[in-house]
Formats: sequence, C-alpha cells, structure tokens
Amino acid sequence: MKPFDIVIVGGGGAGLYAAMEAMKTNPGLNIAVLSKIYPNRSHTSAAQGGANAALANKAKDDTVEMHIFDTIKGSDYLADQDAVEVLCSEAPKIIRELDNMGTPWSRMDDKTIAQRPFGGAGRPRCCYCADKTGHTILQTLYEQCLRKGVIFFNEYFALDLSVDGSRSRGLVAMNIKTGKIEAFPAKTVIFATGGYAKMYWNRSSNAAGNTGDGQAITYRAGIPLKDMEFVQFHPTGLRKSGLLVTEGARGEGGYLTNALGERFMKRYAPEKMELGPRDLVSRSLETEILEGRGFDSPAGKYLHLDLRHLGADIIKSRLPQIREMCMYFEGVDPIDDPVPVRPTAHYSMGGIDTDNLGRTVMQGVYAAGECGCVSVHGANRLGGNSLLDILVFGRIAGRAAAEECGKFNPTSIPEGELAEKELELRSFMQPKGHYERYGALREELGHTLGMNVGIFREASKIKQGITDIERLKERFQHVRVFDTGDIYNTNLLQVLELKNMLDLAETVAAGALVREESRGSHTRTDFPTRDDEKWHKHTVYTMEGGHPKIGYKPVTMGRYELQERTY
Amino acid sequence: MSDSTIQHHEESRDVTFRVHRFNPQVDSKPYFDDYTIRLEKGITVLRAINYIKEHVDSSLTFRAFCQAGICGSCAMRINGMSKLACTTQVWDELDKAREPGVIKVEPLRNLPHIKDLVVEMDPLVGKMQKYSNWVDSKMPEEQWGKKEFLVSEEEFLAYDKATDCILCASCVSECTILRAHKEYVSPAVLLKSYRMNVDSRDSIHDQRLAGLVQDHGVWDCTHCYRCQETCVKNIPIMDAIHGIREDAIERRGTKDTSGARHAEAFMEDIEKKGKLVEATLPIRTNGLAWTLKNLLPMAFKMVMKRRTPPPPPLVKASKGIDALRKEFKEMTSHVGKDHEKKSGE
Ligand SMILES: Cc1cc2nc3c(=O)[nH]c(=O)nc-3n(C[C@H](O)[C@H](O)[C@H](O)COP(=O)(O)OP(=O)(O)OC[C@H]3O[C@@H](n4cnc5c(N)ncnc54)[C@H](O)[C@@H]3O)c2cc1C
Ligand code: SF4
Ligand code: SF4
Ligand code: FES
Repeated sequence: MKPFDIVIVGGGGAGLYAAMEAMKTNPGLNIAVLSKIYPNRSHTSAAQGGANAALANKAKDDTVEMHIFDTIKGSDYLADQDAVEVLCSEAPKIIRELDNMGTPWSRMDDKTIAQRPFGGAGRPRCCYCADKTGHTILQTLYEQCLRKGVIFFNEYFALDLSVDGSRSRGLVAMNIKTGKIEAFPAKTVIFATGGYAKMYWNRSSNAAGNTGDGQAITYRAGIPLKDMEFVQFHPTGLRKSGLLVTEGARGEGGYLTNALGERFMKRYAPEKMELGPRDLVSRSLETEILEGRGFDSPAGKYLHLDLRHLGADIIKSRLPQIREMCMYFEGVDPIDDPVPVRPTAHYSMGGIDTDNLGRTVMQGVYAAGECGCVSVHGANRLGGNSLLDILVFGRIAGRAAAEECGKFNPTSIPEGELAEKELELRSFMQPKGHYERYGALREELGHTLGMNVGIFREASKIKQGITDIERLKERFQHVRVFDTGDIYNTNLLQVLELKNMLDLAETVAAGALVREESRGSHTRTDFPTRDDEKWHKHTVYTMEGGHPKIGYKPVTMGRYELQERTY
Repeated sequence: MSDSTIQHHEESRDVTFRVHRFNPQVDSKPYFDDYTIRLEKGITVLRAINYIKEHVDSSLTFRAFCQAGICGSCAMRINGMSKLACTTQVWDELDKAREPGVIKVEPLRNLPHIKDLVVEMDPLVGKMQKYSNWVDSKMPEEQWGKKEFLVSEEEFLAYDKATDCILCASCVSECTILRAHKEYVSPAVLLKSYRMNVDSRDSIHDQRLAGLVQDHGVWDCTHCYRCQETCVKNIPIMDAIHGIREDAIERRGTKDTSGARHAEAFMEDIEKKGKLVEATLPIRTNGLAWTLKNLLPMAFKMVMKRRTPPPPPLVKASKGIDALRKEFKEMTSHVGKDHEKKSGE
C-alpha cells in the first residue's frame, strides 16, 4: 500500500470531522479513513439529545463563559480548564459550520437554530434535530466526506500500531471482507474509535462495537491512557438490552417502583422523587437492587418504571418513541405493564491521553472523540457535551495532523509484522483440548464490572473485580474461534474486541481501586467524599508486563477555583 | 414477593430459525441451516440469532451494531420481508410464519452477497456519490462557521422526514425495478436526492435533477410502492419520488419523459397528486375538476392493470380543457388496441 500522510481510524463524528478538516487544511495530502463498520453506522448516530453551544438563540443572555463554568462544575473540577475553554468557545462556530454544510437542525420561529434545556446547564443551549441529532450530524458529515472524495476503507478492522522506537510507522489492519491483513504506512494516525462503555456488556447503552479498540491498541503500543475509572451510568436502561429509556418518561410523571410495590425514591429524594439528578437516581436504583428489593429474572435483577397511571392517551401522544422501544426491545407495552429497568453504563470519560491538539506522547499519533481524553469531561460529562467534544477536537486533531505530517519522514511497515499478526490470529482457530467460548467470557466480564466496578465501588468489591478480570484474561488464552474462514469472520473480530475490553477493564478497575475518594461518576462507599487534597489529579495508565501501571498528572486550572458541586 | 414471581411466568417456547448460509470460500451453493432454541417472549430476532452465534454456531455471520434500530446494520429478510432484526419481535414473526414455529432468515436482495446474511453495501454508497447525495452549500467553504442560515419551519419540514433514513437498504432489497436493473438509482438514493433538492441551503439542485432524469433514474420507477411499504422508518418514499418527478416536469418540461414506461408513471403522478396537473398545465377553467374526476380514475385503472399507454400527450393539452379531453380519448383508444395486441400474445 502506498504510504499515507494521515490515516484516520474511525468514521464516527470525530473521525469524519478530522478527515474533512485535514483535507481543507491541505488538499494535497493523501488521507484515508478506516472504519470497522460503514461510517454512517457509527455510534454517533445513537445520540438523541443534542450538542451544546452558547449560540444564545434561545436564552439571549447565554454566554461561552457560562458554558465553560457549567462544564467545569459538571466535571467535578477534574476537567482541564484550558481544554474546556477551547471546547466551549469553538462550540458556536462548529454548530454553525454544521448548519452551513447541511445538518438539519430544528428551528425556532425566528428561523435560527433551536435550543433546548439539558441537565447541568444553566441555560437552554443544547442544539438539536428532533430526537435524531447524532444521526443527522453523522449523515451530514458522511455526505460531505463523499462530496470531498475522502478515501474510505470501509469494514477494515484496526489491529495494531506499528511502532519504531518513539514514533509510529502506521497501522496494521484487517480487511473484513477478505480477511487479508494489510499495512497502512502513514506519517500520522488519528484514533477516533469511540468509547469503551460496552465492556459492561448487557448493562450498557452502547453499540456492540464500542469496545475501546483504539484505546487498547495505543495502550499496548506504549501510549498512556487517562482517567479510565470514570464511567457514566444512566438510571433507566432496559433490563434485557441496557438500551436507554430517556429521561422524558420520568419527566412526564413515571414512577419507579420496587418488588414491594413502593415508590422507593421517597427514601432517597423525598421531594424531587423520580426527578432527582441522574447520578442520585442511578445510585438509588442500584441500592434497591443490592438490598434485595428488585425483581429477579434470567436477564438479571431489575426494577419497574411504571407509566400505566399516565393512561394510554398520554403515553401514546407524548411518549410514542419510548413506548415503541419498550415494545421492540422488551416486548412490554407500557400502557399495560410496567417497564423493567436498571442503571446502564453509558459513556466513558477516560481515554487516550492527549494534549489540546489531540497529540499523544508518541510522534505521529493523535486521538479525538470519545476514545481520547483531553480532558474536557473530567469525572462526569454533561449531556450534550460529548457530541460537541467529538466535533471540536476531531477538527482540531485533523488540522494538527495535516499541519504536522509535513515534518515527518515517510515510513514503511516491515512485512514481518503482518506475517506475525496473521499467525497470532490463526492461533485462535487451532483446535484446543479445553476451550472457552467468547460469548460466555464477554458476559461474565460485563457482570463482574457491573457488580464490582459499577455505580457503587468499595475496595473489597473492586479487588474481587480485578481477580475476576485476571481469571477471565487467563481463560481468554483458551478462547477458540470456530469460524476458520477468511471472509467476513465476525467470530474472530468479536474475540479481538473481547481482548481489547479485557485489557481496558483492568485499567478501569485499577483506577477505581487507587482513587480513594468519590468524585463525579466514581462513587466509593468506603470514601464517600471528594478529596481534593489527595485526588485532584488525573490518573494515567501505561502498560507494563501486560498490566496497568498507574501514574498521575496535574489538572490544569484556570479561572475557576475548586468548589463543592451542588445543584 | 408474589409480584416478582409473576414476572417469572413469561411465556417461553422452542423456535426454529431457518437461516440462509453461504460462505463462498467453501460452499458451492447456498443452503439453509435450522437452529432450534428455547426463547422467552419479548426477545428480538437479533438477540435470538446472537444467541445462536454465541452458544450454538459461532460461524453464523450477520451484521449488527447499535441493537436499537438506529444504525441500519442489521437489515435482513425475515419471513420473506426485509426489515431490521433488532426491532423485530420473534413472537410477532411466529404469527407470520408459513411453517408453524419456523422463522426464515435470509440476506437482503438486490445487493451482491458476501456471506450468510451479509451483503455488499458499496453499490449503494456508489449511487449516493453518483447522484450527489449531499448538500453543496450556497455558502463558500471559507465562510463556514461565521453565521447560520435562516431556515423557516416550512423549509425544515420539507426535508425533515427524509433525514430519518438510516440507509439500512431494506427498501433497496424489496425494489421491483432493482431486481431487473442493478444500475437503477434505488429508492433510498431517490429519497436522499429529494432531501437535498428541497434543502434551501443547497446550490446544485438543477445539476442533481439533470442526473436523476437520465437512464436508470427517477423515471424508471414503476410506482409499485414496495419501498414505502417496507421502509423501517415509515418514510413516505413515494412522496419523494413524486416530488422529484413533479419538479422535473416543472423545470425541464417533458423532454425527459419519453417512452411508455415514463408515461405510465406520469399518469399515476397526476392521479396521486392532482396538484401536478395544476402546476404543469396552466388550465384554470371549471372544466378541470370534471376532467380529473372523470378521466383520471380511468388512467389510474389502466396503470393498475399494467396496460401501457403511449407517451404522454398531456402537456400539449395546456391550451385548454377540450384539448386535454381529446388527448385522453385518443390515449384510451390506443390503450384498448395495445391491450388487444398484448392479450393476443
Ligand atoms: C444512547 C446514547 C445517547 C447519547 N446521547 C448523546 C447526546 O444527546 N449528546 C451528546 O453530546 N452525546 C451523546 N452520547 C455520546 C456520544 O454519542 C458519543 O460520545 C459520540 O458520538 C462518540 O463519537 P466518536 O466519533 O468519538 O465515536 P463513534 O461514533 O463511536 O465512532 C467510532 C468509530 O470508530 C470505528 N472503530 C472502532 N474500532 C475500530 C477498529 N478496531 N478498527 C476500525 N475502526 C474502528 C467505528 O467503526 C466507528 O466508525 C450518547 C451516547 C449514547 C450511547
Ligand atoms: S416504487 Fe419505485 S423505487 Fe419503490 S420499490 Fe417500486 S420501483 Fe422501486
Ligand atoms: S428509506 Fe427506509 S428502508 Fe430505505 S434505507 Fe432508508 S430507512 Fe431503510
Ligand atoms: S443493529 Fe443497528 S439497526 Fe439493528
């Protein structure tokens, strides 16, 4: 393969914006986007709510300043303030840019882009397109990339970085349709592979492929990860699938009830009841389940979201999508029956450690989007800030790579690396006396993470989790791929994704154990308060001997002093 | 805990999935594998075949990603209809099964086959490119980001529903014309083209339209409505197809509409959308209502019976209602003759 100037791994919002911006910065560059699924299928499409920007279309007194403050406070003061400043001040520009290229934003009467209120934001600044915001942004970016003639390698699975000392030589990837392992020599590689919250498996709102591949690849190549212990949970995931029932259901007056028929929120938030803040409600559901007041089923323990008292008319007119989801995915019509729910892993704040230009410590390697950690979300991200993050920092990384690649010499990837990889992958297919099925390991991983490194964490449980993960890693050695063919071998791909999740799960658990405080999404029952003196710092992970070694990095402060986070 | 025990008594039963298998590397021809598994009510087809992959046969190959009906990966034919596996309840399909307890699962049609339930999507992407399925902004790129376009509610609503499309290709799989002509533009691409052409921010409307009226374009559609009936997002695809045709006649006249196939569609357009007649034929006489009432249903019946009328002489009728009436008479007599010829075959 002829050498590339830039190879972008990932065709979600971050990857596509990076591609567009890189082409714009220098149209003469040889750029490729590689994605394990067709770009328009990326998980960016699942974002319904919207993207924040202080356009001040709706609330005329909204300012970038306020957006910055809300984000820093939301992060429980773990975000880097200079990065947040970039995020929020670029926001209006990026939303308008999307409009200028065709994103179908919903509009207000005065024909400007509509904005709605969103959790943790002092003003209504979330720009949206009905309940399909991420979908329409992704479509627009994909269309624009097609317009610009971006070269796509669709259904290519990134396997490894090829590393030469302190610099990257490019990427090794598999063509899924042929099974062939191919080299992508490149001066720069931008990782934009999305989040890792799917490691919680059936307890995750994420797509099946949000397995943190980019984070795992860079981590194994010696690039540090950051703040991995911070995983955001959403209170109402469907029992069987983990898919989200949006907050609207409770907004309309839905009840949360336990197996005793109690509206249990009276114990935790007697005034706000079901409408308490997201993390509090998540913790309340989890407590009910842990204390044995949940329902039991083969698909796990759960509680009820009861909408029946609202009546068929209200459910049909105001919650049609939610009703449809419950029927599709749970087989329950909320008009007749309560909906089985439990908290679900939703978003990964941690990721590949980068600077404000998306650069990692390795020359030529960049990261952006949910797979990167700049960090703008700190210990807890605000709704509507993630789409913004992937767009703003996707663009910045694209520009940075386009500007810097000229400084780097062309590279090539040694043939031997491909052959070695081929052998490694083939070894999964060897008949084994005793073998493991990846499906079982995947489920067990999700289960132990949910139980031990989930919403409530404490030293003894996390240690249990770590032991479990180590055992799973051992058992992984015996996983057998039964599909021995080359063409479209999803059996093999899912095994590789499992390997990535196992490596990353270890960092999540290790971080959760060392961080002896409660901050944002990370709740330690044995250390229930935030401890700024000891823990106002980022955790950083490097791989040593196959396991994470933890270090620390200071938080970049700025205008805003540490304050208690109350709402 | 009586309440919780009730929850245990969910209906469960054995279900057989008869799945199309073909791996070009080893199989000389496709075959079906039967997998019988015990399932609980409330499960989707995707979860069921996922279960088969994890526990019974790991080589079974299909695409799936979001599991929530939004990414468009998992479209396949279930009991003969193209739809999303992740939003389809097994229990609903059991009601539709031809053989009791057996659900048939096959790959989409009209796209090259890769393996088992996976088909090639590149041809669809190629067509999106061919028909410029993007907004080519009125604003020069250097100025992007500085100010937003002002878009009225009405302008927004023109493309809102069309942007629901998740490119799952279910409609592509069911399209009657595509079965015969792989080069045909495809319903999803027509939908997307329409969406771009009604966007007030776009600048290449005429160029896109010129592409759409070429061979294998919008005039090839037979108006069978299969695509619309199939659409997993309930998008009125036919409105888009009608819209493009209406637009084409309005802006380009009938020069593109030669050939009998086109006429058929043209007539149906008129039947479906009375306003086309108004828009294209400057008839403002009282006679119009009469004409529509009396002649169009006849034209529609002809279409439904698949009779092939001659190229549309309708536009000439713009001079007046009498001319239109005459043209229609002429046309119906032609059809009669055509029909005789055909039935003699
Ligand atoms: C249900 C849900 C609702 C949400 N709602 C909102 C919201 O309202 N507002 C908001 O701001 N955020 C929301 N988020 C979060 C937001 O959607 C994501 O954080 C964001 O879309 C991630 O974008 P990305 O470009 O980083 O990654 P993704 O969109 O996940 O894209 C990752 C890309 O990487 C590719 N890839 C991955 N691994 C490999 C590999 N090994 N080889 C090749 N390619 C690979 C994939 O193919 C894909 O193209 C929501 C998330 C979920 C789950
Ligand atoms: S109506 Fe036209 S586009 Fe739709 S399925 Fe029939 S022939 Fe295809
Ligand atoms: S128009 Fe409907 S059926 Fe066709 S690709 Fe789009 S969503 Fe799927
Ligand atoms: S898996 Fe995404 S639509 Fe079915």
